[in-house]
Amino acid sequence: MRIRPRFFIGGCLIVLAIGYLIFSSIRSTSEYYLTVPEVAARRSELGGQAIRVAGRVKPGNIAWDPNSLTLKFEIVPIPDVDAAAVRPVVASDPVSFRVICVGEPKPDMFAPGRDVIVEGKLGPDGAIAATQVMTSCPSKYKPKQSQ
Amino acid sequence: MPQLGNLALAIALILAIYSIVANIYGARRNAPDFVVSARHALWAMCAMVTIAVVVLWAALLRSDFSLEYVAAYSSTTLPTVYKFTSLWGGQQGSLLFWTWLLSIFTSIAAFQNRRRNPDIAPYALAVLAGVAIFFLLMMNFVTRPFDLLATVPAEGSDLNPLLQNYWMAIHPPSLYTGYVSATVPFAFGAAALITGKLDDGWIRSTRRWAIFSWFFLTLGNMFGARWAYEVLGWGGYWAWDPVENAAFMPWLVMTAYLHSVMIQERKDMLKVWNLSLIGLAFGLTLFGTFITRSGVISSVHSFTQSGLGPYFLSFLITVTLAYTALLIFRSKDLRSPAEFESYLSREAAFLFNNLMLVGIAFAVFWGTIFPVLSEAVRGVKITVGPPFFNRVNGPLALGLVFLMGIGPLIAWRRTTTSNLVRSFAAPVAIGVATGIVAAAAGLRQWYVLTAFSLAAFVLGTVLVEFRRGMNARRHMVAEPRAKALVNLVAKNNRRYGGYIIHIGTIVAFVGIVGSSFFRTEVKKSVHPGDSFTIGSYTLRFQGLDETDTPHLESATARVQVLSADGREITVMSPAKLFFKRPQQPATKVAIRSTPASDLYVVLAGIDDSGQTATFEVFLTPLVFWLWAGGLMMVFGTVIVMWPNVRERAAIATALSRSSTDARELADAAPGGE
Repeated sequence: MRIRPRFFIGGCLIVLAIGYLIFSSIRSTSEYYLTVPEVAARRSELGGQAIRVAGRVKPGNIAWDPNSLTLKFEIVPIPDVDAAAVRPVVASDPVSFRVICVGEPKPDMFAPGRDVIVEGKLGPDGAIAATQVMTSCPSKYKPKQSQ
Repeated sequence: MPQLGNLALAIALILAIYSIVANIYGARRNAPDFVVSARHALWAMCAMVTIAVVVLWAALLRSDFSLEYVAAYSSTTLPTVYKFTSLWGGQQGSLLFWTWLLSIFTSIAAFQNRRRNPDIAPYALAVLAGVAIFFLLMMNFVTRPFDLLATVPAEGSDLNPLLQNYWMAIHPPSLYTGYVSATVPFAFGAAALITGKLDDGWIRSTRRWAIFSWFFLTLGNMFGARWAYEVLGWGGYWAWDPVENAAFMPWLVMTAYLHSVMIQERKDMLKVWNLSLIGLAFGLTLFGTFITRSGVISSVHSFTQSGLGPYFLSFLITVTLAYTALLIFRSKDLRSPAEFESYLSREAAFLFNNLMLVGIAFAVFWGTIFPVLSEAVRGVKITVGPPFFNRVNGPLALGLVFLMGIGPLIAWRRTTTSNLVRSFAAPVAIGVATGIVAAAAGLRQWYVLTAFSLAAFVLGTVLVEFRRGMNARRHMVAEPRAKALVNLVAKNNRRYGGYIIHIGTIVAFVGIVGSSFFRTEVKKSVHPGDSFTIGSYTLRFQGLDETDTPHLESATARVQVLSADGREITVMSPAKLFFKRPQQPATKVAIRSTPASDLYVVLAGIDDSGQTATFEVFLTPLVFWLWAGGLMMVFGTVIVMWPNVRERAAIATALSRSSTDARELADAAPGGE
């Protein structure tokens, strides 16, 4: 099939426009998707950058005030099951970040020890100001062993 | 019983392999007996997969927890209807269900083509059998639906509560039907490439399949959006989650395909493009399954991560490479004698519409896989959320809507200026007037103004088309208007059904724009007796009612809704549910829907003393029209697919005369069955 040059040009213009749209939007809307240790390692370059952090809710230190819809907790790394067996976890100074989420209801499945994804920004004080806290829900449930 | 299921799947695999060999041998050596026996093998394969499905259903209904699958996805307290739908609640079951649909569609295609398309049908059926083999291999060796548990649990771990909802009962089957039926046109396209019979025979033979597939993809996406809206409780219906994108991309490509095949039928152009589109549509259905099943891309509502990913990826790569090689091999024969003549032609409008649709599909694809790419290239996982998809697809959607208005009215080949003015004067006036009225009413966002104006413009063009057709009819036959309208649609069901789909799309588009731009949200913790406002509504929290059954505990809030003048409009009952097995909370949203706006109330939390309840309330304008538009699209597609009585009669008369005439007529008729 032959296509006249001007059609070729028209088609190319559309393709270029779509490409530009994708390129520019990626730049302006991207979020770093990081684990808690990665946030610690890149702390200096993350100021003001939108981030999404996967971690685990540390038991204790959880404060929920329903009147102001303020949720405060600490997020710690999700332990890597395989790695823990090989090299013992260094007990001293485990990485953790304070998370403060204001104006959102507490997620249904939120509980100590639960894996969560926190969306927000890392503040200069080292705390994550979250716009959203999502619990990642296990879709497959192991049958209870006791039954 | 489980052994029966395993046996049936093993026999089905053997039959599928036999059918490939016999089809190809029969077609190459011109041995019709082999082609016939291959067909029979496919029917037997379908019977075997049906047996396996029945066995699994029986096990689910009888709560036979010796089966791993039943123990994992059902329980004795699960309502019967959800025991039934648990068939597609988990991985092995959904693969079995998928294979079942594929074997049914393959059997139907084999039946339709028992006398038609003797050149390409055997190869097409061989391709279908090849796809079935992949799924049967998975179920025989990788993820077996009939595996037994060493110790039989007393109780199953139940279906995910989020799936215990009637939308979830109908959403996966619709989507799977759409996915799987796309395999039929793909197989015929591949057969055309293999045999070199590259006229539009393969398109005409599978047109109904393509529309059928599109119909169910539309339903599947709509049901999924509706499910998200009613069940997930975040006030929206579409989050650009990878799983949603996986369902959306094949729909986009199928839409492009349905439009561009019209150009090949009319003008004998775009052969390579059409073959590529159908290959892409099929590839995207595999890709969708791959990303939902592999866990490569994290999705908030992720499915079971499993070892299936590499198999699907390998199959996807194999299919893509083989198909591309075929396209390159046949590229010389795919040249078209015709060419585009003018920008102001329907061909050009269709071509650009195709570029837009595929462009959107590509943007969605890119955004979906971007985290994986960025991690591979830069070592950091960078995600793009809804803002990315909205920014890219927003402008493209406007372009698409514009072309939707242009395409149907503009002439084939080239249009004269006077023609343009005559066709478009009224619609343009309608569009501009709508824009002015909207601006006068206080709308200021340029996107919304443009979107509403373009929507009105498209509706104007469709009205012009209907009026034109009715006038032409009434010129020939004296009919009252209403009768002329009904006859017009009935006699030209493909064309006018298509216009009804366009109206539905525009209505849905208006709903999407309105709900995206004007949604308001209030989050509030209140005590019983307290009230708060959203928009013109006042909501008063009256108290909580708690219930407890063996299946679940629930707390239901009574929320009185008052209008601005203090009159009670209704009492809404959002609830918090707590499922006992698995122990998991869920939210039951209360929605009051009106054409102007939806009031959407979520009971987001209750504090332990039961004294404070936290509500999340959304007021979403125009979202009603998204569902209304969806219904119109469905209605229009039914009209398009409706068997045209006149054509059938013509085929039947010709059949009694001579069989060759009939075959030609049957091929010429839309759908050509």
